[in-house]
Amino acid sequence: MVGPAVDCLLNPLGAVRLSFEKVASASDGFDPASLSNKDWGAKDVFQKFLFDEGGLSQVPFLDIENQRWIRPNSLVRFRGMVQDMLGNEFYIGAFKDGSTWKTNKFADVSSIDMGPRPEMQIWERSLFYCVPVPGQNSWSVQSYPSSSLIHRYHAMSSSQHGEKRSRGSIVDDVESNGSNSELGGTSSCFKKQREEDLPSQALQASHCSQGHDADISMVSNFNKKSLSCLVKIYDSMESELKLNDVVEFIGVFTFDPELVVHKTNSDTLMDDLCEDPLAHLPPSKVPRLHCLIHRKLDIQDFLVGLHIPEPKPSLIRGIRETLLRHLTSVLGNDGVAAQCILLHLLSTVHARVDSVAVGKLSLNLCGLSAETVPIFIGHLNLVVQSILPFSQCIPLTVEYLNTTTLAPRKDYQSNRLITGPLQLVRGTHLTFDETRLISGTLNSVGVANVRLLKNLMECQQVEYEFDYYKMEMPADVQLLILSEGKSNILPADLLLPFRPVGITSVTTPTEEDLHAWRWYLASLRSYSHAIEPEMQKVIEDDMVAARQGDRTLGAADFSRWLTMGRLMSASFGEANLSLEHWQMVKELERLKNERFK
Amino acid sequence: MKDHDYIADKELAKDFLSNFADDHGEPKYLNLLQDVANRKIKYVQIELDDLVNYKDLDEGFLQRVTENTRRYVGIFAGAMDELMPEPTEAFPVEEDHDILMTQRTEEGTDNADNNDPFQRMPSEIKRFYEVYIKSFSKGAPFTIREVKASYIGQLVKISGIVTRCSDVKPLMQVAVYTCEECGFEIYQEVTARVFMPLFECPSQRCKNNKSKGNLILQLRASKFLKFQEVKIQELAEHVPKGHIPRTMTIHFRGELTRKVSPGDVVELSGIFLPIPFTGFKAMRAGLVADTYLEAMSVTHFKKKYEEYELRGDEQEQIERLAEDGDIYNKLASSLAPEIFGHEDVKKALLLLLVGAPHRKLKDGMQIRGDIHICLMGDPGVAKSQLLKHIISVAPRGVYTTGKGSSGVGLTAAVQKDPITYEMVLEGGALVLADMGICAIDEFDKMEETDRTAIHEVMEQQTVSIAKAGITTSLNARTAVLAAANPAWGRYDLRRTPAENINLPPALLSRFDFLWLILDKADMDSDLELARHVVYVHQNFESPALGFTPLEPSILRAYISAARRVCPSVPPELVEYIATAYSSIRQDEAKSNAPHSYTTVRTLLSILRISIALARLRFSETVAQSDVDEALRLMQMSKFSLYSDDRQKSGLDAISDIYSILRDEAARTGRTDVSYAQALNWISRKGYSEAQLKECLEEYAALNVWQIHPNTFDIRFIDA
Repeated sequence: MVGPAVDCLLNPLGAVRLSFEKVASASDGFDPASLSNKDWGAKDVFQKFLFDEGGLSQVPFLDIENQRWIRPNSLVRFRGMVQDMLGNEFYIGAFKDGSTWKTNKFADVSSIDMGPRPEMQIWERSLFYCVPVPGQNSWSVQSYPSSSLIHRYHAMSSSQHGEKRSRGSIVDDVESNGSNSELGGTSSCFKKQREEDLPSQALQASHCSQGHDADISMVSNFNKKSLSCLVKIYDSMESELKLNDVVEFIGVFTFDPELVVHKTNSDTLMDDLCEDPLAHLPPSKVPRLHCLIHRKLDIQDFLVGLHIPEPKPSLIRGIRETLLRHLTSVLGNDGVAAQCILLHLLSTVHARVDSVAVGKLSLNLCGLSAETVPIFIGHLNLVVQSILPFSQCIPLTVEYLNTTTLAPRKDYQSNRLITGPLQLVRGTHLTFDETRLISGTLNSVGVANVRLLKNLMECQQVEYEFDYYKMEMPADVQLLILSEGKSNILPADLLLPFRPVGITSVTTPTEEDLHAWRWYLASLRSYSHAIEPEMQKVIEDDMVAARQGDRTLGAADFSRWLTMGRLMSASFGEANLSLEHWQMVKELERLKNERFK
Repeated sequence: MKDHDYIADKELAKDFLSNFADDHGEPKYLNLLQDVANRKIKYVQIELDDLVNYKDLDEGFLQRVTENTRRYVGIFAGAMDELMPEPTEAFPVEEDHDILMTQRTEEGTDNADNNDPFQRMPSEIKRFYEVYIKSFSKGAPFTIREVKASYIGQLVKISGIVTRCSDVKPLMQVAVYTCEECGFEIYQEVTARVFMPLFECPSQRCKNNKSKGNLILQLRASKFLKFQEVKIQELAEHVPKGHIPRTMTIHFRGELTRKVSPGDVVELSGIFLPIPFTGFKAMRAGLVADTYLEAMSVTHFKKKYEEYELRGDEQEQIERLAEDGDIYNKLASSLAPEIFGHEDVKKALLLLLVGAPHRKLKDGMQIRGDIHICLMGDPGVAKSQLLKHIISVAPRGVYTTGKGSSGVGLTAAVQKDPITYEMVLEGGALVLADMGICAIDEFDKMEETDRTAIHEVMEQQTVSIAKAGITTSLNARTAVLAAANPAWGRYDLRRTPAENINLPPALLSRFDFLWLILDKADMDSDLELARHVVYVHQNFESPALGFTPLEPSILRAYISAARRVCPSVPPELVEYIATAYSSIRQDEAKSNAPHSYTTVRTLLSILRISIALARLRFSETVAQSDVDEALRLMQMSKFSLYSDDRQKSGLDAISDIYSILRDEAARTGRTDVSYAQALNWISRKGYSEAQLKECLEEYAALNVWQIHPNTFDIRFIDA
């Protein structure tokens, strides 16, 4: 082994072992227990390679396309949502081979044969089941393997095809790329070779994958094309990663059909309670990722556009202007609705005080009839999809409410958390189309769903069903409700009767505009905000005066005004609430109230 | 670790077993062994607590037991085998096992010279009892996620909820074969769940003859253990925010099987072990090891007040709190601290949580101790929040809404079992809340027919069922906490209270407290609200409360401790209570619009509330101050309903206080009134101390009375 020459990209495990051996040989009285659940410097090696030497851009994204050519045991990155936590796994982290200590960290199988060994260390790693972010819009998906890199991979794999070519993934690749004559010609002989070598293995593997197809579709009703991944995290702090976090993992990709064989033969004697979650996630279907480095992602990280404008006030005002104009034209020249939508798109939960989620602003556009819906909703959804990274639209019907379990639910048969439509990442935009709801009877599932939706609207919390108890998970979802009358199932913060003036032809925004809007919505959301003492006095007086005039106003309304004030000033890129913006909020409120008369 | 250690430790174990004496000086374990020998019990549980308390404790030994428990279970079992006394009582030899054993011991002499390990009878097969080591009873159990790789092989204590249970199955412990050739019995100990059966006779004779004797597995002679696999999951309160509860596999063997069922909250002690892999799994297991906990003891958690076990320093904290003179106010303000104001409502709710003991008279009549409260008020005055908070504090509480539950849903339902077609009785919310609290929101929205079902529950505390051939009575000893909206959505000040309250008097009289929470239209409270909202938006936290509320767990512990006290009313107070009651009756008779219903039930209410107050002080007797506070609370609850009446009567607070003091002084025929007495009188009518002081000053200036400068005692100046 040559010191630094190990290729971190294609042979990350080599780099890991090398760094381990360095530490192990550094001192005589080496005690592997001291390295238990600690990093010995392997991460530094990759940190240096990825960030200091610019290796990050070479690391391919793991997705369904790239999975075809990415070689097992190479470095990949994966972006996804933590959908389930499968607890900890104990593994033999270090063992003594002859007189030297070796490590198995970041690997599924050992590099050398593992007989029973007297001296070994059991370490643990946590398992996370990660899926692509639900509702992710196509513009925010990043996937750009450079062609030279693919080339390099192919070169690597063909040079050692003797053993490596039997990997199922490569064969798949070859089959699908039938036009590729060079590879296509060789594929049949590889297949033959494989069948001769390992007839039983191949049979069992295919048998197994068939058997587990049902399981997979049961555990994840995500898009079939998307790729979920079992991520193994090492040495992480218990509380670092949470459920529904969006995380980028960089680690060693393993995809080992050989493991399948062992799995299928797992003795039937043992399955009294066949609920090993891994049994439902066979390695042939769900790739493993041994995570070296991970970081949580924010919405900004999904802006693919490279140009990040200088946040100048004039620029922000300009972007606001164009976005507002576009929204107005989409909404049939209803300026008030456009303003409300803009504020709504900027809202996010800043804090939770007692049971109140501060900063949420759900919007209910009512007055939509069955005729107007198709015109406006289509356009509106299109706009939302093109400017927000994550968005979903759920048409509410009685049947939908009665048959779908909206909340994620623990399945004790498979010991998995079964996702539901309401398992969403922070900052997702969710549109409910209530106009299709007709009168009907709700069954118990429907009632539970309605309660769940109400809870989400009011507290931004979703109760996950664990049979024996429920667990409240905080959510941060922008909720837009489209309805004919006021929606009582989904009581929104802001209710606005929709008054389109006419249908205007909607101009398609330029790519440049879209970039600017995406950046605008993503970055202004997190702006800090303060209320000066003089302003505070004005606000308090306004509130008291309003309440003296109208007794129905309560804390919820005041809270909404302040949220709107914050969003209004944020939409201009300002950190302090000015009198002008407060007046604008009051004016908006007045215009809104006028529509009820 | 060296072998001789274990031999020495076996001696230590024997020494402990034979010499340990419990609190009464009895040799605890020898007695247990005698019972085992007499076949009365089938297991011996060694408690680590006893090991710690043992006079000749060897620290190292204790540590070895906790860290290498599985080995020491075997060592203790070996020690017990040697100590096992002869049975002192005759027992019938019936079991196959015993017959086989007798036979074996008789034959045993033949093979005595044979030291072939397969032919020596393993001690397990002779043993007819099991040994468990129970972890320390003190000390908080681990949560599942706290059990790390470093605990492998050790005795750990964990808590969790049972989610799945397998059937109980036999697990082979010792496989017994007979050889077709030589006829010997061959024993094979099984330690894992899977084993490789023997096929060739390993006995000396067969080896010498090179006959390769065929072995036949003897199921009847083999020893099996009951075996059950159980999954437990972390309790909701142990899961960090944003995480998913972890699960763990538990193996129960022998006598511990069938102890738990799904849904049970349990505390377990057991040995954390890796599963030994076999076959193909072993190849994979080159890297990954599954783990399980071999259970050694199970304890169920109970959730009733009276059985609430105080943990750690809670006893101490409660004692410290009890010494605090202001505990009553402190506890009350710690209820729903995020809800501003409503001190008296919270006090009443606190008393509802505490309650009074049930009385069962000799003639079979029962007098309820639960305090029922009805909260009325405008929408949006946090009634539901109060209800939900109370339920979360109460160890046993059910929250339901009047709209959502029919009378059947509240009391009990008779249902036909879909499989057996038998009629079965299912308890509703009120029955489920037996010995706890049932909160019913939207009480006024309930159907009239459903509401009648509650009448019985509220006074007799039972639910009677006469349906489909089933006549029975279920216990529903529950405190009812109801919340209702006024008849027209909002409280209409132009109408009388009776019109606003949309409930029949028969039901109303069953509530000890009826509280009206109004949303008053004054500038101050509006400004307070505006300030609060602005503060929350600026600082992302609630404004400081001015005090630190007690933790809900402490609150729960204090209440459960208070509920164990059974205070009595001393004879000298009987007169006092009687006068107070009669004066309320007279007041009511005097008023021109009788809208309250003071009945004997009111008298019982006063007693209940007074007793609950005494319980809070951990006092065995009710004091006069308790009765005064009870009267004050009742008065306040009445005022919340009729406060505008008082204003109509033309008397302002100051002059009203004056007239109260004058009347009371005239009644007792005194001219000197102590300050404390005055305060008592006026607080019963619902006035505050500040108002009293104002009154004292005002009338002193008019030379109606003289005020003592230091004690504020009053002396009327005779005209």
